[in-house]
Amino acid sequence: MPTLVSVFDLPDDTALAIRKLKGRGFDEIESYAPAPFEQIDEAMDERPSKVRAFTLVGGLTGVFTGFLMQIWMSWEWPIKIAGKNFASIPPYVIIGFELTILFGGILTFLGLMLVGRLYPRPLDKAYSPRFSAEEFGVAVTVGERDVAEVDALLRSLSAKEVTLLDD
Amino acid sequence: MTPPPATAAVDMMRPDTIPQDSQINRDVMSVTKGVSWQWGLMLGMALIGVAQAVFTLGYQTYVGLGVAGYQAPVFWGVYIINFVFWIGIGHAGTLISAILFLFRAKWRNAINRGAEAMTVFAVLTAALFPLIHIGRLWKFYFLIPYPNQRALWVNFKSPLLWDVFAINTYMLISIIFFFVGLIPDIAIARDRATGVKKFVYTILAGGWQGTGRQWKAHNRTVLHLAGLATPLVLSVHSVVSWDFAMSIVPGWHATIFAPYFVAGAIFGGFAMVIVVMIPVRRIFRLEAYITDYHFENMSRFILFTSLICGYAYGAEYFIAWYSGVEFEQTSFWLRVFGPYWLSTWFMISFNVIFPQLLWIKKLRTHVPFLFVLCVGINIGMWFERYVIIITSLSREYVPAAWGLYIPSVAELSILVGSFCWFSMFFLLFLKFLPIIAIAEMKELLIHDKAHAAAGHTQEAH
Repeated sequence: MPTLVSVFDLPDDTALAIRKLKGRGFDEIESYAPAPFEQIDEAMDERPSKVRAFTLVGGLTGVFTGFLMQIWMSWEWPIKIAGKNFASIPPYVIIGFELTILFGGILTFLGLMLVGRLYPRPLDKAYSPRFSAEEFGVAVTVGERDVAEVDALLRSLSAKEVTLLDD
Repeated sequence: MTPPPATAAVDMMRPDTIPQDSQINRDVMSVTKGVSWQWGLMLGMALIGVAQAVFTLGYQTYVGLGVAGYQAPVFWGVYIINFVFWIGIGHAGTLISAILFLFRAKWRNAINRGAEAMTVFAVLTAALFPLIHIGRLWKFYFLIPYPNQRALWVNFKSPLLWDVFAINTYMLISIIFFFVGLIPDIAIARDRATGVKKFVYTILAGGWQGTGRQWKAHNRTVLHLAGLATPLVLSVHSVVSWDFAMSIVPGWHATIFAPYFVAGAIFGGFAMVIVVMIPVRRIFRLEAYITDYHFENMSRFILFTSLICGYAYGAEYFIAWYSGVEFEQTSFWLRVFGPYWLSTWFMISFNVIFPQLLWIKKLRTHVPFLFVLCVGINIGMWFERYVIIITSLSREYVPAAWGLYIPSVAELSILVGSFCWFSMFFLLFLKFLPIIAIAEMKELLIHDKAHAAAGHTQEAH
């Protein structure tokens, strides 16, 4: 199926093009942007990023690991220090807190790699270095007979260029 | 003065013309291109400094900690001072990248990358000092709770152990935060590099293309990491301060220590950011991005935190007097008029008195003045830790047990080495990674461009 790659100057135009294409029923769309723009990301997918679940799981794992580790280790070899409980909760809050942050941060990063598919892999054919300059790209995969129509549509939506990629 | 609107900040940051193929990419990436002899000379000097410190460390490890100036009753010396100093330097970077991010302070964009890099390098420097300080380097793993034949665990009630966890967490989170911010910029470098560099950047960028999905995940990640790093950075120096405050040494046992240390850390950290960014901006001609406006804002932070430090110093003395505890009173009296009076007056003048000049608007943007002032602040902050640690330990309860501590040559050699170690990382960073967060700056530039276009259309209609 052929892919049409269109180039835009402004984020609003890019977002509009994505919405129009989706409205026409084209679902295989990819956007390329040099900087984060909410309108584009929203047009691509309205649901919040799944990264947030990773942070939650990481943070909870961290806080439980922190407290359970300290309490278990204190009981495993009980030594009375300054007349305090063997497992004394107030001082354990600190390491519990630090591990919450540590595990939360590491899992958030893992989430970014998984959700954003960030691992070494070949780049898309539609991608071009101009999208890491200051231009925006929208790639849409369409059926043979829709090419002309979509091309005209994109141009009417202030696309600077529309190129056809065959594969 | 009310902050100028965001658009004005953008105006100040924007280069005069933005041609279609991103001026900012070329401006910022040009920093990494080519190696001048000055850069080589500085790196060479840094490497020599690191080498002599490694030699000293080897010698100290061989003959024992006696080569450090440690003698009864002072067994925490320059190494611990350096540790607190370098951890403090890191705090400004996290403040700029996390706290100012959450407050949506747009001016942070031009300086956050450099400050974050400094955080990472400062923490990498600081983390060495507990190891250097323990003397028996090969036993460092005793600090980590691990199952062992002695069935003995670490003491989780000790602030020294809290520190192990706080510092390691801070180091890892700072590195992650720094790297996440870098990913889009590494992709920019990848698209413009060739050969081995392209290969390395391709691996590091991990297939970043700026797709909607990637940006969305990236935004969310930065938000969450900022949310996690904000309480973390406040906790780290608090935990460091508890290394002192949890003990009963006069001059240390104070509830004010945590906020006092955090404010001092931000104060010293911002001063270091200015000291480093002034030459970087000048040498690599980044005046279009790092403007006087940034320096003015940082100066205000310095002024504000200087006032907090001044208040903390005052409160310490007042409480020492008001408590009626003889030991506290003596300890603080001897700080100012005892054998270490010079370091105390350095601390007060560099940290509280001289920064008051920043009330004058002209001086807040006077670059040479700022440079000199901030070098002074760094000296002052180093002496603040010297005063807290040394004067308190050398004048504890029983006068018969008092002593005098003088830093040894070995300690000074490692002090110099730590600055070289930090500079080495920073110099290498300049040549491999973009010093300005390009993607974040572009967000402002393109936003501005979109506004201009919208205004234009409206006028045309």
